Amino acid sequence: MLEAKNLSKSYNGQVALNAVSFTVNKGDVFCLLGANGAGKTTTINLFLNFVEPSGGEALINGLSVSKHSLATKKLLSYIPESLMLYPNLTGLENLAYFAGLSGSKQNKEVLQSALSDAGLQVDAHAKRVSTYSKGMRQKVGVALALAKNAEVLLLDEPTSGLDPKASNEFSELLNKLKSRGVATLMATHDLFRAKETGTHIGIMKQGTLVEQLTTDQINHTDLEKLYLQHMN
Amino acid sequence: MIRTIAFKELKELLREGRFRVMAFVMVALLVVAAVISKNYYQWVNNQHVTAKENARNVWVSQDNKNPHSAAHYGTYAFKPKYSLSLIDQGVDKYAGISIYLEAHRRNDAQYMAAQDQTAISRFGDLTPDFILLFIIPLFIILTGFNSFTSERENGTLRLLKSQGVSSRILTGGKWLGLFIAVLLVIIPGFILSVLLLGNVQDFGEFSIGALAILFLFYLLYYAVFTNITLVVSAWAKKSNIALVSLLAIWMVACLGMPKVANRIAESMSPYPTQSQFVAAVQEDERKGLDGHNPFSAEAKQLEQETLKKYNVDSVQQLPFNWDGYLMQKGEEHTAEIYFKHHEQLKTTYENQTSVYRVASVLSPYLPTRFLSMALCRTDYASHWHFSNAAEKYRIMMMDKLNMHFAENSTYGDWDYLADKSLWKDIPDFTYEPVTYSQILSSNLNNIGVLIAWLVTTSLMLMVSVKKMSIL
Repeated sequence: MLEAKNLSKSYNGQVALNAVSFTVNKGDVFCLLGANGAGKTTTINLFLNFVEPSGGEALINGLSVSKHSLATKKLLSYIPESLMLYPNLTGLENLAYFAGLSGSKQNKEVLQSALSDAGLQVDAHAKRVSTYSKGMRQKVGVALALAKNAEVLLLDEPTSGLDPKASNEFSELLNKLKSRGVATLMATHDLFRAKETGTHIGIMKQGTLVEQLTTDQINHTDLEKLYLQHMN
Repeated sequence: MIRTIAFKELKELLREGRFRVMAFVMVALLVVAAVISKNYYQWVNNQHVTAKENARNVWVSQDNKNPHSAAHYGTYAFKPKYSLSLIDQGVDKYAGISIYLEAHRRNDAQYMAAQDQTAISRFGDLTPDFILLFIIPLFIILTGFNSFTSERENGTLRLLKSQGVSSRILTGGKWLGLFIAVLLVIIPGFILSVLLLGNVQDFGEFSIGALAILFLFYLLYYAVFTNITLVVSAWAKKSNIALVSLLAIWMVACLGMPKVANRIAESMSPYPTQSQFVAAVQEDERKGLDGHNPFSAEAKQLEQETLKKYNVDSVQQLPFNWDGYLMQKGEEHTAEIYFKHHEQLKTTYENQTSVYRVASVLSPYLPTRFLSMALCRTDYASHWHFSNAAEKYRIMMMDKLNMHFAENSTYGDWDYLADKSLWKDIPDFTYEPVTYSQILSSNLNNIGVLIAWLVTTSLMLMVSVKKMSIL
């Protein structure tokens, strides 16, 4: 579903990403681990076509992202570290707007049930987003993925800054999407969540994917050891 | 999808205190300006009607007198005030409202509103044109400067762009949202002006078609400013940079360029001062025929020619009074001199206009200003049209009076008194203003420049949104 082929990116000669290749299949959750500046966000931005690759290509459903930027975006849903919405609009209005832009015109009931499925309390639906917590905004992001019927999920440190309960709720939502066959690429610092929800793990260092493994190959302690080994 | 974006833009704006306050202030200013103008217009118009009647009464109620004395006594031509001048007063304030019509002299219009005002009022009246031309563009800028920058600063642009919206649709939606917000302020103003203009009594004519065309030109002008605002918002990295840049553009376009163009035009082809103009006319007059001086060389020459033509030996034998005839010939001569000098003024005016045309390339304000004044019939062209009509009437009047004198009296009979019925025989001054189709065809240039502004800024908008950085 998601494929990086020798994906490279450099900014003014500074290499940010160096020939990274991996594949994320339907129902997989691929967790990118690594220090800040290792190239995790760059990888996600390349799949969003927010930046042009310097080499290689990013494919979604076999389509090159840079050549079919609008078509590939119809398939994906993106949740950044801090999902920002329009503060003067309600959660429901925000969802209706973004879902409308992606071309899936949904009626109010469908959108409301998406919000509820994403775990947003019903009485918050009609409240302005300016009153929302970060966790509530992330839920609107998940609701958007549900409403769009996204086949690909791109997550950039979605649980950082969430309290453990909210973080846990988010992981459960991810599991729900995983069971629907959504292919997920997630950048994260949370080794525990990566082991819990992830199916695959990639460790990045200075723009290079230095390790790829499946989560059933390794336990949490060994994962931490492996990670630290690469970082030092 | 464009509608979805436009609708969301509007919804956000309407929920924002800043926009609501600004929109309220705009509508309030427009209402106040319209009411002030309407009262002023009605006051001037009442005076106009009274003065016009008085002038005619004074003229026709003259007693029996020598026709040339009546010519010196003179009368007045009053420039009609048009209902659309309520929207744009143009140069009316400085151009004068009535012309004194007398023998031997083409007078300038006098009684300018500006003469009666204190220095402080030079800084701008609260008139609809001031709000329409200066303040609404500012309102567009203040409403839309952060249209793109705030999305980038708040991080919503990433989510927006991750939905797979093409930049064409995004541009269309943003544009429409901002423009509709402007319309929310303009349309009440438009409806109000229709109601006010429709209710003013005693105006010459009110053409809703002309008002609609005027409205259309203003909409073009606002569309240009909407484009510029969004171009800068897409291009700027930060909202405050966008705001400062747009305010600078506004100052250059609306305040700087008009003044600079004016200075350049004035230095490249200056108008003569009043005294220079009068001196030049007098110089030419001295060289030619004087109706009051039968002993000058020119008069003697005309005498010889006339005697030859009628095959007589002396002016006494002519079938008409030589004095009256000479007077008319002198009048025709002066009229020609005035015509020549006014044509020179017109040339100067045209030279200055071409400077403004060039400056219009740098300021969408200029073509709009000229179009607005032209349609409200308050530009110089309209004033000249009136002044020429008044001069034509004066020439006709002098011709009638002098020829009556020549045909009904004998040579040397300066005591001849014409019957007072003669004054009524001279028709009242009536004036047909330039038609709207003429106005439009003589302003094709300004219309073209305004449309060129719209097309150019639209293209710039497409490009800048396409190239806009998301991160």
